Amino acid sequence: MTILELRNVNKTYSTAAGDFVALKNVNLKVQAGEFLGVVGKSGAGKSTLLNMINGVDTLTSGNVFVKNISVHDMTEDQRAQWRGKTMGVVYQSFQLLPMLTLIENITLPMDLAENFKPRESKERAMELLKMVELEEHANKLPAFISGGQQQRVAIARALANDPEILVADEPTGSLDSVTADIIFDLFSKLVYEKNKTIIMVTHDMSLTGKFSRSLTMQDGELIEAELEPAFDKTMMRRRK
Amino acid sequence: MIQTSPLSSGILDSVSATDSMIELRGLVKRFSNAAGEFTVLKGIDLTINRGQFVSIVGKSGSGKSTLLNMITGIDHPTEGQVIVNGTDIYDGINESTRSKWRGKNLGIVFQFFQLLPMLTLLENVMLPMDYVNMYDFDERPQRAMELLKLVGLEKFANKLPVLVSTGQQQLAAIARAMACDPPLLIADEPTGNLDTKSADTIIQLFELFVSQGKTIVMVTHDPSLTSRTHRNIIISDGELINETISRSLPQLRHRHMLEFTKLAETKIYQPRETILSRDEHVDYFFMIRSGEVEVVLQDKNKETIISKLGKDEFFGEMELLRGGKAIANVRAGNKPVELVLLPRADFTRVMNESPITAEAVSKIVQKRLEAQKMLDPRENHQSENMVSIRRKNKSAATRPSK
Repeated sequence: MTILELRNVNKTYSTAAGDFVALKNVNLKVQAGEFLGVVGKSGAGKSTLLNMINGVDTLTSGNVFVKNISVHDMTEDQRAQWRGKTMGVVYQSFQLLPMLTLIENITLPMDLAENFKPRESKERAMELLKMVELEEHANKLPAFISGGQQQRVAIARALANDPEILVADEPTGSLDSVTADIIFDLFSKLVYEKNKTIIMVTHDMSLTGKFSRSLTMQDGELIEAELEPAFDKTMMRRRK
Repeated sequence: MIQTSPLSSGILDSVSATDSMIELRGLVKRFSNAAGEFTVLKGIDLTINRGQFVSIVGKSGSGKSTLLNMITGIDHPTEGQVIVNGTDIYDGINESTRSKWRGKNLGIVFQFFQLLPMLTLLENVMLPMDYVNMYDFDERPQRAMELLKLVGLEKFANKLPVLVSTGQQQLAAIARAMACDPPLLIADEPTGNLDTKSADTIIQLFELFVSQGKTIVMVTHDPSLTSRTHRNIIISDGELINETISRSLPQLRHRHMLEFTKLAETKIYQPRETILSRDEHVDYFFMIRSGEVEVVLQDKNKETIISKLGKDEFFGEMELLRGGKAIANVRAGNKPVELVLLPRADFTRVMNESPITAEAVSKIVQKRLEAQKMLDPRENHQSENMVSIRRKNKSAATRPSK
C-alpha cells in the first residue's frame, strides 16, 4: 500500500540574493512498512523534503498525499491536528523538556492531543518506555540519562499518539556509532514488528546499508533510478 | 532569614524577607561508582542576591553542572543546604512538590533548546503556564504573545520551531522559560550553540530582565559574556574561587586561583589605619575586597596622596617582586577597608610559575610608578631611583621560572 506520495513537488525560497530552489520536481512513492533513508549533503534539500512531507512548511507547487489525504490542502489547524495523529517527528537534538521526567515528557503530547484519558496516557507512556528499554528510568529527569537514552525517549515520545509514519532528521547526528546502532535497532523493530513507516534523512553516506531502501538527494533532486520502491518479498520476509 | 516550613501551605509561593535569592551552605556532593567515591562539590558556600546577574565559569569536570543541578533541584546534595527564593528545596519536600515549586520559581534555558517540534512557538511558550496552571486559560495565549514580542518573534508565533533559525529557537526557549514570570532564570551555556550576533541579542535580553529585578545565573565559557555580568564565580575542582582573587588577578590559572583561595586571609582595617609604613618589610600581597586605600608619600610635615586604590585593585606587589621595603605609606581611606592577604613566598612562587600574570602585574606596577614619579614632591634623584626600581621590577616580574 502506498502510504505517502509526492507529485511534482517544488519549493523555492525567495531571499534578498534571489530565488533559491530547494526542491526540484520531486516525485516519490513510499510503501507502508518501509524504512526509507534519504541521503545527501548538507543543503541538498533533505530537511525541506521532510518539511513538505509533514506539512510543516508550504510548498511552491505540487502535491503531497499521505494515505490519500492532500496534506497541503488542509487549513493550518487541520494540518496541525492531522500531523499530531499521523506523524511522529524526531530531530538531531532531543528536545526533551528538562524540567519534566521521562514519563511526563512522553505523556505530554498525548495530553495535548487529548487522544487518551490521563490514566491511559500514563500506561501507554510506560509501555513506550518499556519498548525503548528505559522503563526503570521513568521518573528521572532528562539530565540524568545519556544522550543516546535521551534520543530513545524522544523516539518514544514521537510515537506517543501512535502515528503510522515517523520522520527523522539526522536522529543519530549527535551520537557515537555504538549508540547510533541502538537507535537503528529500535527503528528496525518499529518497522518490522510495529508496522511503522520511517523516513529518515542523513548526510552520513555510511548509513545507506541500514535502510530498507535508500535514495540520494542532490541539489534539490532525488536520483531518478531509485524512485520505485524496492519493496518486495524480502521486506515481507523480514517483517515476519 | 525566613525559612518556609515544608508543612506550610505557602511553600510554593514562598517569599523571603532577605535579599538573597540563592543560598548554598556547606554543599557537598559525592558520587559513588565502581572506581570508588568521587567528591564533585567540596563544601560550597555561596550567596547570590536578588537582582544579580551572575556568571559561573569552570573547566569541564570542575563541578559546575552539578552545582546548577543543585540549584534547580534536579540533583540531591550529599550534605548541606540549598535555599532558593526562601525555600529550603531539599528539606522535607518530595519530588512532585519540588517539580511544582520549580515551575513557579525557576526558568531554565539550556544550550539545546528543547522546544517541542510539533508545537508552534506560541504553543511552546504557553506550555509551562498549562503545566503549572498559572494564569487564566484564556489569558495564556495573550501572555505568550507578549513574551514572543519581547524577544522579537511575534511574527513567527505560529511557526513550528524547525522553520526558524537556531538563534530564534533559543529566543523562543527564553520566552518559554519566562512564561510563569519566575524570579530566577538559570541558563546553562545559553549561547554555546549560537553565532556572536545572536549571542549578543540574548545577553541584551538578559540585561533587560535583570533591570526588571530578575536574578540570572548563567554558566558560560565565553569571556565576552562574563564581562557583562555583575559577578563572575569560578569553580575549580569542586570549590569556589575567592572572587576578590579572580577579579584582581584574572590572568591566573584556575588552579593557582584555587591555591590562593586556600592560602588567603581576610583582614579589616579601620578608617585611616596604617596598613604599610614606608621602609617597613612587606610580607604580603594585598587585594582590596571592599573599601579604599590611600598611598601616601610623606615629606617632612607635608603629605601627598599619590593614589587611591579601590575594590579589586591590589598593592604590595612592587615590594614583593623587587624584594624590598615599602616605598610609600598605605593606609585605609575614610571607611573601613577589607583586604585579602597572600603570604609573600606564595605570591612570588606563583608569579614565577605564571608569566602572563607577572607581565600583567608588572604593567600595573609601571603605570603606578609613572604616576608616582609625576606626583612625588621629593628630590629628582628619588625619581631616578624609581625608574631603576621599575627596570629591576620588570625584569624580575617577567623572568621565567627555573
